[in-house]
Amino acid sequence: MFETLRMFYAPWICWVSPFIGSILSLFIGGEDDVKLKGMIASTFTGISWIMALLMLPDILKPGLRDVWIGWITLPYGEPIRAGILLDPLSIILVNIVSFISLLVMVYSIKYMEEEYGQARYWSLMSLFVGGMLLLVLADNFIFFFIGWKIVGFCSYALIGHYYMDEKKYWIGGPPPHPFEKPSTCGLKALIVTSLGDVAMLAGILIIYLYAGTFNFLTLISTTDIWMTKMAANPGIITLTIILLLGGPIAKSAQFPLHVWLPEAMAGPAPVSALIHAATMVKAGVFIVARLFPIFFNGYWVNGFSEAFNFFSIIAILGTLTAFITAANALVSLELKKILAYSTMSQIGYMMLGLGVAGMSVNATITGYVGGLYHLLSHALFKAALFLCAGLVIHVTGSIYIHDKGLNRKYMPMTWIFMWFSALSLAGVPPFSGFWSKDEILMACVNAGQYGLFLIALLTAGITCFYSIRMIGYIFHSRSGELEEGHGEPKLMWIPFGILSSLTLILGLIGYWLGGILHDTFREYFINVLGIPLTASAHTPASLTEVIIPSLSIVMLLVAGTPAYIFYISHKMDSWKLVNANAALRLFHKILWNRWYIDKLYTITFVKGLHLLRPIVQRYIEDPIDFFLNIGVPRFFAIMCSGIRRIQTGIASINILYILIFLTSMVMIILVVI
Amino acid sequence: MSVPHPLLQSILIPLIAAIVIVIAGKKLKEIAGWISCGSLIYSTIMLTLAGMRIWVNPAPIYEEYAWSELAKLKFGLLADGLSLPVALIANLICAACAAYSIPYIRHRIELIYGGDDWGLYRFYFVLYTFFAIGFTGISLSTNLIEMYLFVELVLIPFYFLMDLFGYIDRHRIAIMCFIWSHVSAALFLVGAVLAYVKIGSFEISSLSSLMGMDALLVCFFILIGWLIKMAVFGFHVWVPWVHAEHPTCIAAILATIVGLGNYVIVRLLVQHLFATFKIFSIPLMIWALITMVYGAFLTLAQDDVKRLCACSTISQNAYSLLGIASCTALGVVGGVFYFISHIIGKCILFSVAGILVYQTGMRDMKRLGGLASKMPLTAALFVIGAMILSAIPPLSGFQAEWIMFVGIFRQGFQGSTTGLLIALIGIFATFLTLIYTFWPIKRIFFGPLPDELKNVKRAPLVMTMPLLILAIISIILGVYPDILMKFLNSAISLS
Repeated sequence: MFETLRMFYAPWICWVSPFIGSILSLFIGGEDDVKLKGMIASTFTGISWIMALLMLPDILKPGLRDVWIGWITLPYGEPIRAGILLDPLSIILVNIVSFISLLVMVYSIKYMEEEYGQARYWSLMSLFVGGMLLLVLADNFIFFFIGWKIVGFCSYALIGHYYMDEKKYWIGGPPPHPFEKPSTCGLKALIVTSLGDVAMLAGILIIYLYAGTFNFLTLISTTDIWMTKMAANPGIITLTIILLLGGPIAKSAQFPLHVWLPEAMAGPAPVSALIHAATMVKAGVFIVARLFPIFFNGYWVNGFSEAFNFFSIIAILGTLTAFITAANALVSLELKKILAYSTMSQIGYMMLGLGVAGMSVNATITGYVGGLYHLLSHALFKAALFLCAGLVIHVTGSIYIHDKGLNRKYMPMTWIFMWFSALSLAGVPPFSGFWSKDEILMACVNAGQYGLFLIALLTAGITCFYSIRMIGYIFHSRSGELEEGHGEPKLMWIPFGILSSLTLILGLIGYWLGGILHDTFREYFINVLGIPLTASAHTPASLTEVIIPSLSIVMLLVAGTPAYIFYISHKMDSWKLVNANAALRLFHKILWNRWYIDKLYTITFVKGLHLLRPIVQRYIEDPIDFFLNIGVPRFFAIMCSGIRRIQTGIASINILYILIFLTSMVMIILVVI
Repeated sequence: MSVPHPLLQSILIPLIAAIVIVIAGKKLKEIAGWISCGSLIYSTIMLTLAGMRIWVNPAPIYEEYAWSELAKLKFGLLADGLSLPVALIANLICAACAAYSIPYIRHRIELIYGGDDWGLYRFYFVLYTFFAIGFTGISLSTNLIEMYLFVELVLIPFYFLMDLFGYIDRHRIAIMCFIWSHVSAALFLVGAVLAYVKIGSFEISSLSSLMGMDALLVCFFILIGWLIKMAVFGFHVWVPWVHAEHPTCIAAILATIVGLGNYVIVRLLVQHLFATFKIFSIPLMIWALITMVYGAFLTLAQDDVKRLCACSTISQNAYSLLGIASCTALGVVGGVFYFISHIIGKCILFSVAGILVYQTGMRDMKRLGGLASKMPLTAALFVIGAMILSAIPPLSGFQAEWIMFVGIFRQGFQGSTTGLLIALIGIFATFLTLIYTFWPIKRIFFGPLPDELKNVKRAPLVMTMPLLILAIISIILGVYPDILMKFLNSAISLS
């Protein structure tokens, strides 16, 4: 009885439950009843988490959990089914997502107390979680894509939660620099991610046309058949890969579609926590991991050289994103924007890990596990950081780090847990961020991608620097510490306390956890998916296993020391240093303007569109309109008055007409006959 | 349980209702609206019953009545997997808009003629009921003359409704609309008569015996006739005017008139003249593509809420055309599905635009803003409408769109590079939909509330509830699309 529940219904209940929560929290309780609505939403997310825990024992027994209904019947096609795929990937993801969402929900009950739009907030938050769980558990592309689009829509609605655009919710600045309004930010997120979605849908449909199925497992097992058909037309596989990757690149905010995420923090802090840690940007990493075996099979087993592009594209774009966004975080002054940049940078690492995993068989398990492991540790510390940031911003009333100056004595919990999470972000041992980042660096070396490795290593240093800078500004500022005691509500600090403690605990057992994940996924790849992972003659020397962690620790020290001097001990002033040096000033300006990528897009697309609007109306629509609706009637009017003129009423002229008519008729008859 | 003559009833009962409204006279007041609405709900129920019968036993329902011996005409009504969903949804939309227009038209009459005029009010609902019968008739008819008559039954009340209850330049636009729609109807009639001359029958099912040049000509005339009505690029200029100046409750149904071309093309040409229709496939797809892209940019250029909805119809309708013109089973099924989904969505959007005009008296988006705080349900409805159009699940637009695009892509891979290019440009053009639906949401409903809108009230429930029902139907179709797919699959079988 219990076993049936666990085996067959747990995954279904897991993703359906937040949907029910979403409907209920919309209709039950008054508009201001935050407690009740919050309790409903949290309860149903909690059910999801319990169900996710129940799935854990199945981690190595993948397979389709029962499918109830033929969902969509296509003419002449196999029916599309609504089905669940349980494998280590989905089980791990489901646990991360539901657990973090639950904590964020609990935190929100306190956070949202005095905000407007309760019904909307709770309903959309639940839907957000439900959509993410659906996309993780789905066993085919269409079912997956539904969750994917729901997630995108909810993020739009939640980012624009403060749709009235009150001045206190504006982001950007400080004053000489322009501000952005929440409703614009939401729209920006929706439009940028949807561009990727459209591309992805095109890719999915092309695959369907060749493979005749949307099912992930079937796609993996029949790669040789359908990819052979595809390879018959050179370029099609590459085209499909580029289109397919459009989705994850936009959703996970990777270069060149990364521009939406820095503005995505316009919503309430729990929303940002959810977007960054659990539900939105992780979806992109997930689908890349989900598609990984397909293209791995295509390249390494069946030898279609074009399939390799899948890995090189994500590895290169991931590294690039990791670097450029980490550099942006160096100069940013808004707390949540620093966190947003760091998310993009960390997602870049995950993409890099997954990319190099496919570039060499030696790195497959290390890279794949590294990507997922980093996803796990990032989810924990980033959720914690955002929840802390929510409290910090709430207490200080400022979105900037440089006019905060909190006293750590009055907010001890926030202080200690924010340090934990920031150190984990920086990749300092023994926090979990260290182990997972290390795996990725290791994978780069194993795959022989030394260029990518160096950039990744440099980025690790930058990450360390900006993490310390952020904390230093907030808690260790030299001037004017806020003396007044502010409470730290239990409902708020316990959730982020749990999260940041977990990042420490996972870090302490990090080495062994990595080992377990390695075994799990090796088992999964070889025995379940049936992909042989034969390592070539070159086995990585055990020496690298020592050198790489040492290198990254050296890097942390190199970057951490100046950060400590600038922002914590205040022995030197970073502003003076930058102002004194013209090159540094220029660099600062470029970074502050986000490498001018955002500006370029705004000018090309937004301004371009506004320029195009009157042109379309005035030079295309109006002439056609004039020609057909005024020109043609006028032509008939002129014809009429012309004809009226020859209708003189004089008998002799009329007789002439009759004669002309008759002769022409005779002529016509003669000609025809 | 089996109801006798469900199809005839679905046409006859509203007809009787219209006559009752005429006879009962002015003293009915608002009851006239409820009678009209009630009769349409009744025919919706009849059609649903017919649908349930087809669901259980997938044989079409065919009713035949004697009509005219002279031209060997029979008055036939056919409900199969294709015509029934179209008739049902069109009827449902008409019923919803009937309820919606009960307060709306009263307000409109007050504005134009100053004070209540129950005579005109009654006249509106008589015309409206005829108008609504037309859609059911077009969908169910079995011969071309019958179909033509029902088209006229739509078009003539359409002229009077605009002339009596429209907006600013209503007399001129009404004439304009009348001429455009009759040029299109006349071309269709030419095609029908040509077919009669060649094969001696107006029956739709006998169209398939046309051969060679004759088939080409008949196909051409019917196609061009309906393409004008479908507002493809070049013939689209009547749509923004007509949609924008019609009373909103009629404008909401206009997308159905425009879109019905899709159904007629599938019914007449795809089902019975497929080999000939295939010749037009690539040119039609290119034409549809131009319309999609141009329509999208035109929509983006609008500042008037009603013109915005009108222009988006041009673009949206071309999606369905693209699917149908791909000449693949999936494309055709998806195209019809998309048409059904689009008319639901467009009805919601237009009606919301009407609510805005009703409550604020404003149509210019530059002056609107922040209304979500004043009318949350209306804002939610507009968002749902936008989601249907821009294919965001769980609404029906998404399911329709991907099914349709599988067909379009299949055509692309069978054919030349042109086909693939059309498919790719087509799918990227759907991205523009998202911009032209969600940007106006921000302009109308988000941001600070202007001072002149401080006193806006919520819309009456009689206006919002019907839209909510339509939205729920769209969600049902989106969550479990097989409800519709089962019907369409049974009717459309192409090689």
